[in-house]
Amino acid sequence: MAGVIEQIRNVCALGALQSVVAIERAIPIIHAGPGCGQKLWSGLSNGNGFQGAGYVGGHSVPCTNATEQEVVFGGEEKLRETVANTLKVMDGDLFVILTGCTSDIVGDDVGEVARSFRSSGAPVVYVETGGFKGDNYFGHELLWDALIDQFLEPAGKAEPGLVNLFSVLPYQDPYWTGTLHTIAGLLRSIGLIPNVIYGPGEGVASLRKVPKAQFNLLLSPWVGLKTVQRLEEKFGTPYLHYPTLPIGATETGKFLRAVGVQAGIPSETVEEAIRREEARYYYYVERSADLLFETRFLPGHFVTVADSFYALGLTKFLINDLGLIPEVQFVTEAVPEQYRPLIDAEFARFDEGLVSPVHYGADGGTVRDELARRTFRERPLILGSSWDRVTARKLNGYPLSVAMPVSDRLVLSRTYAGYEGALRLTEDIYSVILSSFQ
Amino acid sequence: MRQIAIYGKGGIGKSTTTQNTVAGLASLGKKVMIVGCDPKADSTRLILHAKAQATVMDMVRELGTVEDLELDDVLKVGYGDVKCVESGGPEPGVGCAGRGVITAINFLEENGAYTPDLDFVFYDVLGDVVCGGFAMPIRENKAEEIYIVCSGEMMAMYAANNIAKGILKYATSGKVRLGGLICNSRNTDKESNLIEALAAKLGTQMIHFVPRDNQVQRAELRRMTVIEYSPEHKQAQEYRDLAKKISENKMLVVPSPLTMDELEELLMEFGIMEAEDEEIVGVAEAASK
Repeated sequence: MAGVIEQIRNVCALGALQSVVAIERAIPIIHAGPGCGQKLWSGLSNGNGFQGAGYVGGHSVPCTNATEQEVVFGGEEKLRETVANTLKVMDGDLFVILTGCTSDIVGDDVGEVARSFRSSGAPVVYVETGGFKGDNYFGHELLWDALIDQFLEPAGKAEPGLVNLFSVLPYQDPYWTGTLHTIAGLLRSIGLIPNVIYGPGEGVASLRKVPKAQFNLLLSPWVGLKTVQRLEEKFGTPYLHYPTLPIGATETGKFLRAVGVQAGIPSETVEEAIRREEARYYYYVERSADLLFETRFLPGHFVTVADSFYALGLTKFLINDLGLIPEVQFVTEAVPEQYRPLIDAEFARFDEGLVSPVHYGADGGTVRDELARRTFRERPLILGSSWDRVTARKLNGYPLSVAMPVSDRLVLSRTYAGYEGALRLTEDIYSVILSSFQ
Repeated sequence: MRQIAIYGKGGIGKSTTTQNTVAGLASLGKKVMIVGCDPKADSTRLILHAKAQATVMDMVRELGTVEDLELDDVLKVGYGDVKCVESGGPEPGVGCAGRGVITAINFLEENGAYTPDLDFVFYDVLGDVVCGGFAMPIRENKAEEIYIVCSGEMMAMYAANNIAKGILKYATSGKVRLGGLICNSRNTDKESNLIEALAAKLGTQMIHFVPRDNQVQRAELRRMTVIEYSPEHKQAQEYRDLAKKISENKMLVVPSPLTMDELEELLMEFGIMEAEDEEIVGVAEAASK
């Protein structure tokens, strides 16, 4: 059923190239038209927290710049040339060919090109991510299928304590580096060895370690479920699926306990780590009590407009920890039908029996119209993307940009995950509100 | 499991030959799957006795994506327990059928259509291999043998030679090979000798000469193969012979396509074109007497 999508909040499947950029010294080579790469980088990185180009990202990504020649006569020769030249001038540990629409429609045998380079010893893999196939969440899963099929080698015995972290999408989530770093820290605090794969200090060596893990941690409502299932099939690695991104003490405690059980860690170790964190965390929460309990005119209701990671994670924190009331939530990525019941079930499990209506859909116009329809009791708190700032202004609400595109903020190591992240989020929310009082 | 692709000029008889041959293989006790790679979706009609089965791309058109499709929705079983699936594609004049074939074959792979009990998988590919998508069946890990259906008509031979050029590309970098030419007779002059000679020039063999017989059409009208319609008829035996030859074939080559000059020389050799060919070109029969 054709419709219109206004205010796009993700990109096409070729956006998976940014997941390659996120792996240190991994280099994407795109077999696509002129401009695809630039647009995707602009959307996912430049216009989303200004995350920078990375090692060979941004305008440095090698590309075949497929034009009519390649469409009519096929693009394999151009691709071969581009890969050969990339290997000559770019210093990398892994090269991933990603295809755009043109090559996928025309039927270029990209696999054969990749295989021919691999057979002469170059670490080249390929994935067919023609944009028409789906969004970048889908493309990200396709990338992992390719890495599993073409790059990861069986490891023999699993390394006790080693955990692979499959969570937010690099670049799509502008807070990815801080978030992954924080989750890794939490895992370390209970004695595990996290394998983060993405971000500084990790790289292709971390990628190679994936089959060695004791278990895979899927910290995600649905993205990556196929990946961990395939890893279980191929390497026998069990997985823990924890759907909610832990923000704040309530969820983070639950999270650490669940991981502890999966990993076979003695509960005293886990409880001790939680105690330590909570002692520090609640000192600050207590400090904020004066503001939160004594100030009139604070919003009691909130709206989130984000992908399922944040829609769920933020909503749980705001209800279960901050005691706010959910108005309506919007989940903006294309969640496959079969995963919606799982997510709906999570949205039905809030404290005090609170429920929130949930809308699925990428169309920002629907979000705007739905919010305009509603009568808010007070100025609404709207956690969404920079698009939603316009809506928030119209409704005289309080906007905070937490989801792609975050074009009104510089994001470096900031995260909202875990204990410290929740404090950051609380600061950000109430700072927005307080600054309107001045 | 042997995966075999059937190519050849449009209308030459690929689908008819494939289905009849497959029926022959089934009668030898083989387990076969036919994958139709043509938006016309007419590759399984004679096995299923049906006007047309639901194609992969039909279902995708309805559902919008291949993600929600089940194999059972598109895989049907017909005569001789032959499994049938059609990739389907767009109506004539729109869209991109090649992409349809790519999507359909990927779907089959990902959904486990290629079960270990299969002895043969036949890809029936539409006539003009006009884009990369129609070469999908001969990419790595799919068909490793190709048979080209042709006749003694010049255009059919030209097409067969052209297809050989495409095969050459994939055979050079991969494992696919040309298994032979199947001559689907049109009763042209010295047809059998001509095709044998063409095959030799290409480096391959004419694996079988299928005589023209309207029994095939009579069976087709009833949506059946000759083997099912009239198993005692001599035409049924032709297809059983072809099936046996394919089953036992060991001659698999990297083809050596001819130039246009070489092709015309071949036709001259067989007296179809006269020696003074340059003079007869463009001269009507009445004028040349």
